[in-house]
Amino acid sequence: MPDGQLGAGLPEGAPEVPDAVDRPRVGTDEWVAQHEERREVGRGLTGLVARGWERIPPPGRLALLLGPFAIFPFITNEGNLYRYGLITLIYAVLALGLNIVVGFAGLLDLGYIAFFGFGAYLYGIMASGHSGHHLQAEIAVPIVVVSTALLGLLLGLVSWRLLGDYLAIVTLFFLQAFVIFVNNANGGLNDFSYPFVGKVDLTGGANGLDRIDPLNFFGFKITTTKGYYFYTLIALAVLMTMLFFVNLSRTGRAWRALREDPLAAAAMSTPVNRLKLLAFMFGAAIAGFTGTIFGAVQSGAFPGDYDVGLLITIYAIVILGGLGSIGGVVIGALIVNGAPELLRSSANARFLFYGVLVLALLIGMKPWYRAVVALVGTTAFGFAIHAIVGAVWSRGTAGHIQGGGAFGRALDHWVLLPTHADRIAGWAYFALIVAALVLTLVRGWWRVVVMIPTLYLAAFVWENKLVEQVSGATRLILLGALLVVIMNVRPSGIFGTARVEVV
Amino acid sequence: MAALLELRDVTKDFGGLRVVDQLGLHVDEGEIVSVIGPNGAGKTTVFNLITGIFHPDSGEIVFEGRRISGLAPHKITQRGVARTFQTLRLFLNMTVLENVMAAEYGNTKATVFEAMLQLPRARREEKRIRAIAEEKLAFFGQRLAGYRFDQPAYSLSYANRRRLEIARAMATNARLLLLDEPAAGMNPNETLEVTELIGRLRDDAGYTILVIEHDMHVVEGISDRVVALDHGVKIAEGSFGEVATHPLVIEAYLGVRAAKKAV
Repeated sequence: MPDGQLGAGLPEGAPEVPDAVDRPRVGTDEWVAQHEERREVGRGLTGLVARGWERIPPPGRLALLLGPFAIFPFITNEGNLYRYGLITLIYAVLALGLNIVVGFAGLLDLGYIAFFGFGAYLYGIMASGHSGHHLQAEIAVPIVVVSTALLGLLLGLVSWRLLGDYLAIVTLFFLQAFVIFVNNANGGLNDFSYPFVGKVDLTGGANGLDRIDPLNFFGFKITTTKGYYFYTLIALAVLMTMLFFVNLSRTGRAWRALREDPLAAAAMSTPVNRLKLLAFMFGAAIAGFTGTIFGAVQSGAFPGDYDVGLLITIYAIVILGGLGSIGGVVIGALIVNGAPELLRSSANARFLFYGVLVLALLIGMKPWYRAVVALVGTTAFGFAIHAIVGAVWSRGTAGHIQGGGAFGRALDHWVLLPTHADRIAGWAYFALIVAALVLTLVRGWWRVVVMIPTLYLAAFVWENKLVEQVSGATRLILLGALLVVIMNVRPSGIFGTARVEVV
Repeated sequence: MAALLELRDVTKDFGGLRVVDQLGLHVDEGEIVSVIGPNGAGKTTVFNLITGIFHPDSGEIVFEGRRISGLAPHKITQRGVARTFQTLRLFLNMTVLENVMAAEYGNTKATVFEAMLQLPRARREEKRIRAIAEEKLAFFGQRLAGYRFDQPAYSLSYANRRRLEIARAMATNARLLLLDEPAAGMNPNETLEVTELIGRLRDDAGYTILVIEHDMHVVEGISDRVVALDHGVKIAEGSFGEVATHPLVIEAYLGVRAAKKAV
């Protein structure tokens, strides 16, 4: 209707079409429009934090995330710096690369770790006592990065038609093939005979490629943990900045469009295949680069390091941090690598245990006063039980908390600690599992009522049974519980934004 | 005037089923042409053939005098043909503005390295396409403007999603817009608005438009020319009046017996 007359097509006698656009009325989407406005405002504590975080300018966010890392080496010892610091950073860089492939472009790449291993091995071949070559790092590292990118391109080329599960299978096969290759490419009987050079010991087979040179840039050798730590930290900061810009650029947008709907992306002038290959190449290049660091740090490359276990760890980091979030990988790496290390000591583990319980209670129970009632109730319940049992059965309170501190001493008066508690604790463990199951069946205030003895039982089992095995199985149970709680609180990752599949 | 888009004897089979049969169709510069036909007539397939999602088994498709059949979808879009989808295919988890800016990939050249280092060309292009995106969204008045730029597309109402798809198609720098049922699922008020909008797309924004539509009020309101398809065959072509009263069209929609009664 070129003349723009709105009411022209209406039948006789129909109500006149209002001309004001800013007034809510039936039949237009003004009501929905207001609804939209309300919907995106975050509520509660998480919303507040999220909005505050959004308000910080990007350089400030980077400084907040990485600042603590810069201070860390000066307040800790060598062993902790390696375990908590360097490994976390290496995982974070590695996760950053995976985040491009999985988070930005949405390609489920399960072969990612192969690129990491490829980087370490290739660096080892170019610079190690094992191979006999000693290339400078300023030459070797760029060669590794470019070669890994090309390997990524190769994997992309054979699998660009595939999506989702199918891509996952092919890339997983690629990882397995890589592991088998490095396990066997030691110039032994079953190894290939390469053109021109014949049989060569490339990877050292199952024994690994040892004596890899430290990174040596223009004669500056990085030899200390601290040196590698800062090298990795700077690399992480630079890569995060670069990826931040890429994410905002046409390429980043095209990757996200591709993740959302490849067909629509193609119809909107995006060369889908080229962008997929680009994502593969970038992810691979970052993994290869990280491989050179890891190889040099370990001064060796061993086939067992580059398998599905590490793949799952890195995926956990990316998912926990939030798919597609650049800052998230740092937090994800910190939790996934830091938490199990922290849990090796029983004092740390105790804080984490009670912390997770209280946090889960406060977040999971709604409305909030029920959680408070449950907490206060459990505390009172504990002291009451302790007093009663202390009066009738002296052995029941005779034990003492391992470790101590003010918190430990308070616990001494709260939780029952019988001497020789093995059998009782075993039964209590069983009862705890039953109580936890009952808890899922009851609703409302009954849940609070059941919650109180359950929580106390959990504390009892923890102090009498689990804490002894804290460096073993308990650690993993607790880590699992922690991850479950985090993912329940933030289903799309700590820094992730909620994604909608079909509306 | 030479035809902007021309389909010459285009045929497409899905297995043993002939979906589009020897179809000839032309759209002249500045025209609004409607394609009608019962469900399964092959209308959307024609769109998929034009935009390169399918390739014709025989025949050719020519745009601006150059053959486009056989090209990849993104190449065809870069040549100047953009479409909307019958089942909306927005990038739901991207913001409104990003949706439109994503469609300008073909109009920009900065490489990923330039973006990484924020070199001048990347920044300049970014600024330019942002302005274009805002301008395209402004075409829809307040509905997609202001605070809504940074809302995710999934938070939009259905009608606004349809508008956003059109804005996205406009942003590709197209000369020809293919609109696949732009009024589907809209209430009468919104349908009227769509009718007016399509007119404005041609008169104010200068697009040539090929549209699939089931709502005959819309078709009547906008079309310079109507093409009716049934079983992949063009059964009628002409003004709305001619096509709407064409016996084959009535038969296609109502069946032989009803058609006889009507005539």
